[in-house]
Amino acid sequence: MKKYISIPFLIIITIIIITSIGLEYGNPRNMEFVKYYLEQGLNDTGAMNLVAAVYLDYRVYDTLIETVILFMAVAGITFFLQRRK
Amino acid sequence: MKSSNIIKTIAQKLFPFITLFGIYLILNGHLSPGGGFQGGVVLGTAVILLFLSYGIEATEQKVKMRCLSILEEAIILFFIFLGILGISTGYFFLKNFLPLGRAGQILSAGFMPLLNLVIGIKVAAGIFGIFYILFKYRGEI
Amino acid sequence: MNPIHFSILLFFIGLYGVINKNNLIKKIIGLTILNGSTVLFFISIGYRENGIAPILSEELSGELMPVMVNPVPQALMLTAIVIGVSVTALALALIVKIYEKYKTLNIQQLLKE
Repeated sequence: MKKYISIPFLIIITIIIITSIGLEYGNPRNMEFVKYYLEQGLNDTGAMNLVAAVYLDYRVYDTLIETVILFMAVAGITFFLQRRK
Repeated sequence: MKSSNIIKTIAQKLFPFITLFGIYLILNGHLSPGGGFQGGVVLGTAVILLFLSYGIEATEQKVKMRCLSILEEAIILFFIFLGILGISTGYFFLKNFLPLGRAGQILSAGFMPLLNLVIGIKVAAGIFGIFYILFKYRGEI
Repeated sequence: MNPIHFSILLFFIGLYGVINKNNLIKKIIGLTILNGSTVLFFISIGYRENGIAPILSEELSGELMPVMVNPVPQALMLTAIVIGVSVTALALALIVKIYEKYKTLNIQQLLKE
Protein backbone atom coordinates (compact mmCIF):
# COMPACT_ATOMS: atom_id res chain seq x y z
CA MET A 1 0.00 0.00 0.00
CA LYS A 2 2.75 2.46 0.89
CA LYS A 3 4.81 1.64 -2.16
CA TYR A 4 1.93 2.20 -4.62
CA ILE A 5 1.62 5.84 -3.57
CA SER A 6 5.20 6.81 -2.91
CA ILE A 7 6.97 5.47 -6.02
CA PRO A 8 4.95 7.41 -8.67
CA PHE A 9 5.08 10.49 -6.45
CA LEU A 10 8.87 10.38 -6.19
CA ILE A 11 9.28 9.79 -9.94
CA ILE A 12 7.03 12.75 -10.81
CA ILE A 13 8.91 15.07 -8.43
CA THR A 14 12.29 13.95 -9.83
CA ILE A 15 11.23 14.70 -13.40
CA ILE A 16 9.77 18.09 -12.45
CA ILE A 17 12.91 19.20 -10.59
CA ILE A 18 15.40 17.94 -13.19
CA THR A 19 13.70 19.66 -16.11
CA SER A 20 13.12 22.96 -14.36
CA ILE A 21 16.29 23.69 -12.44
CA GLY A 22 18.00 26.84 -13.58
CA LEU A 23 21.62 26.23 -12.66
CA GLU A 24 24.09 26.08 -15.51
CA TYR A 25 27.08 23.80 -15.25
CA GLY A 26 30.33 25.64 -15.83
CA ASN A 27 29.04 29.18 -16.15
CA PRO A 28 31.72 31.74 -15.28
CA ARG A 29 29.01 34.00 -13.86
CA ASN A 30 28.89 31.81 -10.71
CA MET A 31 32.32 33.05 -9.70
CA GLU A 32 31.84 36.78 -9.22
CA PHE A 33 32.34 36.74 -5.45
CA VAL A 34 35.19 34.23 -5.19
CA LYS A 35 37.82 36.38 -6.91
CA TYR A 36 39.05 37.68 -3.56
CA TYR A 37 39.97 34.18 -2.34
CA LEU A 38 41.80 33.31 -5.55
CA GLU A 39 43.83 36.51 -5.80
CA GLN A 40 44.61 37.38 -2.18
CA GLY A 41 44.82 33.89 -0.67
CA LEU A 42 48.57 33.54 -1.09
CA ASN A 43 49.27 37.05 0.26
CA ASP A 44 47.09 36.71 3.34
CA THR A 45 48.03 33.23 4.47
CA GLY A 46 51.14 32.09 2.65
CA ALA A 47 49.72 28.68 1.75
CA MET A 48 49.77 27.26 -1.77
CA ASN A 49 46.74 25.04 -1.22
CA LEU A 50 43.77 27.39 -1.52
CA VAL A 51 41.28 24.89 -0.07
CA ALA A 52 43.45 24.57 3.06
CA ALA A 53 43.68 28.36 3.21
CA VAL A 54 39.88 28.58 3.25
CA TYR A 55 39.21 25.97 5.93
CA LEU A 56 42.24 26.78 8.10
CA ASP A 57 42.48 30.56 7.94
CA TYR A 58 39.29 32.21 6.73
CA ARG A 59 36.88 29.72 8.35
CA VAL A 60 38.85 28.09 11.14
CA TYR A 61 35.96 28.48 13.62
CA ASP A 62 33.89 25.89 11.72
CA THR A 63 36.79 23.44 11.81
CA LEU A 64 37.04 23.81 15.61
CA ILE A 65 33.33 23.07 16.14
CA GLU A 66 33.46 20.13 13.75
CA THR A 67 36.32 18.58 15.74
CA VAL A 68 34.17 18.87 18.85
CA ILE A 69 31.32 17.10 16.99
CA LEU A 70 33.60 14.16 16.25
CA PHE A 71 34.57 14.01 19.92
CA MET A 72 30.88 14.05 20.92
CA ALA A 73 30.18 11.10 18.60
CA VAL A 74 32.84 8.99 20.33
CA ALA A 75 31.48 10.02 23.74
CA GLY A 76 27.94 9.04 22.70
CA ILE A 77 29.05 5.63 21.47
CA THR A 78 30.97 5.04 24.71
CA PHE A 79 27.84 5.89 26.67
CA PHE A 80 25.61 3.48 24.75
CA LEU A 81 27.93 0.51 24.51
CA GLN A 82 29.41 0.02 27.94
CA ARG A 83 29.21 -3.11 29.98
CA ARG A 84 28.58 -2.97 33.66
CA LYS A 85 30.01 -6.00 35.37
CA MET B 1 39.31 -15.26 16.03
CA LYS B 2 42.02 -16.96 14.03
CA SER B 3 43.84 -15.42 11.13
CA SER B 4 46.39 -17.06 8.91
CA ASN B 5 50.12 -16.46 8.88
CA ILE B 6 50.01 -14.71 5.51
CA ILE B 7 47.81 -11.91 6.84
CA LYS B 8 49.90 -11.45 9.97
CA THR B 9 53.17 -11.19 8.06
CA ILE B 10 51.90 -8.84 5.37
CA ALA B 11 50.16 -6.54 7.86
CA GLN B 12 53.30 -6.26 9.93
CA LYS B 13 55.42 -5.48 6.86
CA LEU B 14 53.01 -2.89 5.46
CA PHE B 15 52.42 -0.95 8.67
CA PRO B 16 55.42 1.46 8.52
CA PHE B 17 54.70 2.43 4.90
CA ILE B 18 51.06 3.28 5.57
CA THR B 19 52.04 5.31 8.65
CA LEU B 20 54.68 7.17 6.64
CA PHE B 21 52.17 8.00 3.93
CA GLY B 22 49.70 9.28 6.50
CA ILE B 23 52.28 11.55 8.14
CA TYR B 24 53.32 12.85 4.69
CA LEU B 25 49.72 13.75 3.88
CA ILE B 26 49.32 15.57 7.21
CA LEU B 27 52.55 17.58 7.06
CA ASN B 28 52.22 18.68 3.41
CA GLY B 29 48.63 19.78 3.89
CA HIS B 30 49.20 23.38 2.87
CA LEU B 31 51.29 22.69 -0.25
CA SER B 32 49.50 19.90 -2.07
CA PRO B 33 46.09 18.18 -1.85
CA GLY B 34 45.63 16.49 1.51
CA GLY B 35 45.50 17.93 4.96
CA GLY B 36 44.40 17.00 8.42
CA PHE B 37 41.28 14.95 7.72
CA GLN B 38 42.68 12.84 4.90
CA GLY B 39 45.94 12.00 6.69
CA GLY B 40 44.11 11.27 9.94
CA VAL B 41 41.87 8.68 8.29
CA VAL B 42 44.92 6.96 6.72
CA LEU B 43 46.64 6.78 10.11
CA GLY B 44 43.52 5.37 11.75
CA THR B 45 43.23 2.75 9.00
CA ALA B 46 46.81 1.59 9.61
CA VAL B 47 46.12 0.91 13.28
CA ILE B 48 42.86 -0.87 12.43
CA LEU B 49 44.77 -3.13 10.02
CA LEU B 50 47.09 -4.27 12.81
CA PHE B 51 44.15 -4.69 15.13
CA LEU B 52 42.20 -6.91 12.72
CA SER B 53 45.08 -9.24 11.97
CA TYR B 54 46.43 -9.92 15.43
CA GLY B 55 43.30 -10.32 17.57
CA ILE B 56 42.20 -8.38 20.58
CA GLU B 57 44.49 -9.67 23.33
CA ALA B 58 47.73 -8.65 21.63
CA THR B 59 46.35 -5.20 20.77
CA GLU B 60 45.11 -4.52 24.28
CA GLN B 61 48.62 -4.83 25.61
CA LYS B 62 49.84 -2.13 23.22
CA VAL B 63 46.97 0.38 23.10
CA LYS B 64 45.05 0.90 26.32
CA MET B 65 41.66 2.58 26.41
CA ARG B 66 42.63 5.08 29.10
CA CYS B 67 45.59 6.39 27.09
CA LEU B 68 43.40 6.83 24.01
CA SER B 69 40.74 8.85 25.80
CA ILE B 70 43.25 11.05 27.63
CA LEU B 71 45.05 11.77 24.32
CA GLU B 72 41.79 12.67 22.62
CA GLU B 73 40.69 15.09 25.33
CA ALA B 74 44.11 16.74 25.62
CA ILE B 75 44.30 17.39 21.88
CA ILE B 76 41.03 19.33 21.83
CA LEU B 77 42.13 21.43 24.81
CA PHE B 78 45.37 22.18 22.93
CA PHE B 79 43.36 23.43 19.95
CA ILE B 80 41.41 25.84 22.17
CA PHE B 81 44.66 26.90 23.84
CA LEU B 82 46.07 27.87 20.42
CA GLY B 83 43.03 30.08 19.94
CA ILE B 84 43.50 31.80 23.28
CA LEU B 85 47.14 32.46 22.36
CA GLY B 86 45.74 34.45 19.47
CA ILE B 87 43.88 36.71 21.90
CA SER B 88 47.00 37.24 23.98
CA THR B 89 48.89 38.78 21.05
CA GLY B 90 46.26 41.47 20.73
CA TYR B 91 43.99 40.30 17.90
CA PHE B 92 40.93 38.08 17.73
CA PHE B 93 40.39 34.43 18.69
CA LEU B 94 42.30 31.97 16.47
CA LYS B 95 44.43 34.50 14.64
CA ASN B 96 47.47 33.33 12.71
CA PHE B 97 50.11 34.50 15.15
CA LEU B 98 53.16 32.62 13.89
CA PRO B 99 55.15 34.37 11.10
CA LEU B 100 54.31 33.64 7.51
CA GLY B 101 57.45 32.39 5.86
CA ARG B 102 58.41 32.03 2.26
CA ALA B 103 55.75 30.33 0.18
CA GLY B 104 56.61 26.72 -0.70
CA GLN B 105 58.40 25.56 2.41
CA ILE B 106 56.95 23.26 5.05
CA LEU B 107 57.44 25.72 7.93
CA SER B 108 55.39 28.48 6.32
CA ALA B 109 51.83 29.78 6.50
CA GLY B 110 51.64 30.53 10.19
CA PHE B 111 50.16 27.81 12.35
CA MET B 112 48.72 25.70 9.54
CA PRO B 113 51.14 22.73 9.92
CA LEU B 114 50.49 22.71 13.69
CA LEU B 115 46.73 22.78 13.22
CA ASN B 116 46.93 20.03 10.61
CA LEU B 117 48.81 17.84 13.10
CA VAL B 118 46.18 18.45 15.79
CA ILE B 119 43.32 17.58 13.45
CA GLY B 120 45.15 14.50 12.14
CA ILE B 121 45.76 13.05 15.61
CA LYS B 122 42.17 13.76 16.63
CA VAL B 123 40.63 12.09 13.57
CA ALA B 124 42.91 9.02 13.84
CA ALA B 125 42.05 8.56 17.53
CA GLY B 126 38.36 9.05 16.78
CA ILE B 127 38.21 6.50 13.96
CA PHE B 128 40.14 3.90 15.93
CA GLY B 129 38.11 4.58 19.08
CA ILE B 130 34.77 4.05 17.28
CA PHE B 131 35.96 0.75 15.85
CA TYR B 132 37.43 -0.45 19.16
CA ILE B 133 34.28 0.26 21.17
CA LEU B 134 32.00 -1.35 18.59
CA PHE B 135 34.22 -4.43 18.64
CA LYS B 136 34.67 -4.77 22.37
CA TYR B 137 30.94 -4.83 23.09
CA ARG B 138 30.29 -8.08 21.25
CA GLY B 139 33.61 -9.74 22.05
CA GLU B 140 33.81 -11.43 18.68
CA ILE B 141 33.49 -10.66 14.96
CA MET C 1 23.51 14.89 -18.19
CA ASN C 2 25.24 17.20 -15.75
CA PRO C 3 26.57 16.20 -12.37
CA ILE C 4 23.88 18.52 -11.00
CA HIS C 5 21.11 16.40 -12.54
CA PHE C 6 22.78 13.21 -11.38
CA SER C 7 23.00 14.43 -7.81
CA ILE C 8 19.24 15.14 -7.79
CA LEU C 9 18.61 11.60 -9.06
CA LEU C 10 20.83 10.17 -6.30
CA PHE C 11 18.97 12.27 -3.72
CA PHE C 12 15.64 10.73 -4.63
CA ILE C 13 17.09 7.22 -4.76
CA GLY C 14 18.33 7.72 -1.19
CA LEU C 15 14.94 9.11 -0.16
CA TYR C 16 13.23 6.03 -1.64
CA GLY C 17 15.54 3.85 0.44
CA VAL C 18 14.69 5.66 3.68
CA ILE C 19 10.92 5.62 3.08
CA ASN C 20 10.17 2.26 1.53
CA LYS C 21 12.50 -0.30 3.00
CA ASN C 22 11.52 -2.20 6.12
CA ASN C 23 14.89 -3.20 7.49
CA LEU C 24 16.70 -0.66 9.73
CA ILE C 25 20.13 -1.24 8.19
CA LYS C 26 18.79 -0.46 4.72
CA LYS C 27 17.45 2.82 6.03
CA ILE C 28 20.91 3.74 7.29
CA ILE C 29 22.39 2.93 3.88
CA GLY C 30 19.80 5.26 2.30
CA LEU C 31 20.88 8.00 4.70
CA THR C 32 24.50 7.57 3.57
CA ILE C 33 23.43 7.87 -0.08
CA LEU C 34 21.59 11.11 0.80
CA ASN C 35 24.79 12.49 2.33
CA GLY C 36 26.83 11.64 -0.75
CA SER C 37 24.36 13.27 -3.11
CA THR C 38 24.39 16.55 -1.17
CA VAL C 39 28.18 16.70 -1.21
CA LEU C 40 28.21 16.05 -4.97
CA PHE C 41 25.66 18.81 -5.59
CA PHE C 42 27.59 21.45 -3.71
CA ILE C 43 30.93 20.62 -5.27
CA SER C 44 29.59 20.56 -8.83
CA ILE C 45 28.04 24.02 -8.47
CA GLY C 46 31.46 25.63 -8.32
CA TYR C 47 32.79 24.24 -11.60
CA ARG C 48 34.17 26.49 -14.27
CA GLU C 49 34.81 25.61 -17.90
CA ASN C 50 38.35 24.32 -18.53
CA GLY C 51 39.28 24.98 -14.93
CA ILE C 52 42.02 23.30 -12.94
CA ALA C 53 42.29 22.44 -9.25
CA PRO C 54 42.85 25.43 -6.90
CA ILE C 55 46.43 24.55 -5.98
CA LEU C 56 49.18 27.03 -6.79
CA SER C 57 52.58 25.71 -7.73
CA GLU C 58 55.95 27.16 -8.53
CA GLU C 59 55.76 26.98 -12.28
CA LEU C 60 52.32 28.60 -12.35
CA SER C 61 52.86 31.73 -10.33
CA GLY C 62 55.12 33.40 -12.86
CA GLU C 63 52.75 33.79 -15.77
CA LEU C 64 49.09 34.78 -15.81
CA MET C 65 46.86 32.96 -13.34
CA PRO C 66 44.96 30.14 -15.08
CA VAL C 67 41.26 29.51 -14.62
CA MET C 68 40.59 27.78 -11.29
CA VAL C 69 37.44 26.20 -9.90
CA ASN C 70 35.73 27.47 -6.76
CA PRO C 71 37.56 26.37 -3.58
CA VAL C 72 34.95 27.46 -1.01
CA PRO C 73 32.36 24.61 -1.36
CA GLN C 74 35.15 22.03 -1.27
CA ALA C 75 36.31 23.34 2.10
CA LEU C 76 32.75 23.32 3.50
CA MET C 77 32.03 19.80 2.31
CA LEU C 78 34.97 18.41 4.31
CA THR C 79 33.01 19.25 7.43
CA ALA C 80 29.83 17.76 5.99
CA ILE C 81 31.50 14.41 5.31
CA VAL C 82 32.75 14.16 8.90
CA ILE C 83 29.30 14.98 10.27
CA GLY C 84 27.81 12.23 8.08
CA VAL C 85 30.26 9.70 9.48
CA SER C 86 29.39 10.73 13.07
CA VAL C 87 25.64 10.34 12.48
CA THR C 88 26.12 6.91 10.86
CA ALA C 89 28.29 5.68 13.75
CA LEU C 90 25.78 6.77 16.42
CA ALA C 91 22.88 5.23 14.48
CA LEU C 92 24.70 1.90 14.23
CA ALA C 93 25.37 1.91 17.98
CA LEU C 94 21.64 2.42 18.61
CA ILE C 95 20.81 -0.45 16.24
CA VAL C 96 23.04 -2.79 18.27
CA LYS C 97 21.08 -1.96 21.43
CA ILE C 98 17.70 -2.32 19.69
CA TYR C 99 18.60 -5.78 18.39
CA GLU C 100 19.74 -6.89 21.81
CA LYS C 101 16.41 -6.00 23.42
CA TYR C 102 13.80 -6.83 20.78
CA LYS C 103 15.57 -9.55 18.73
CA THR C 104 14.31 -8.15 15.41
CA LEU C 105 15.17 -5.33 13.03
CA ASN C 106 11.93 -5.10 11.07
CA ILE C 107 10.26 -1.74 11.54
CA GLN C 108 6.69 -3.05 11.17
CA GLN C 109 7.20 -5.54 14.01
CA LEU C 110 8.94 -2.91 16.10
CA LEU C 111 6.02 -0.51 15.76
CA LYS C 112 3.63 -3.05 17.21
CA GLU C 113 5.48 -3.18 20.53
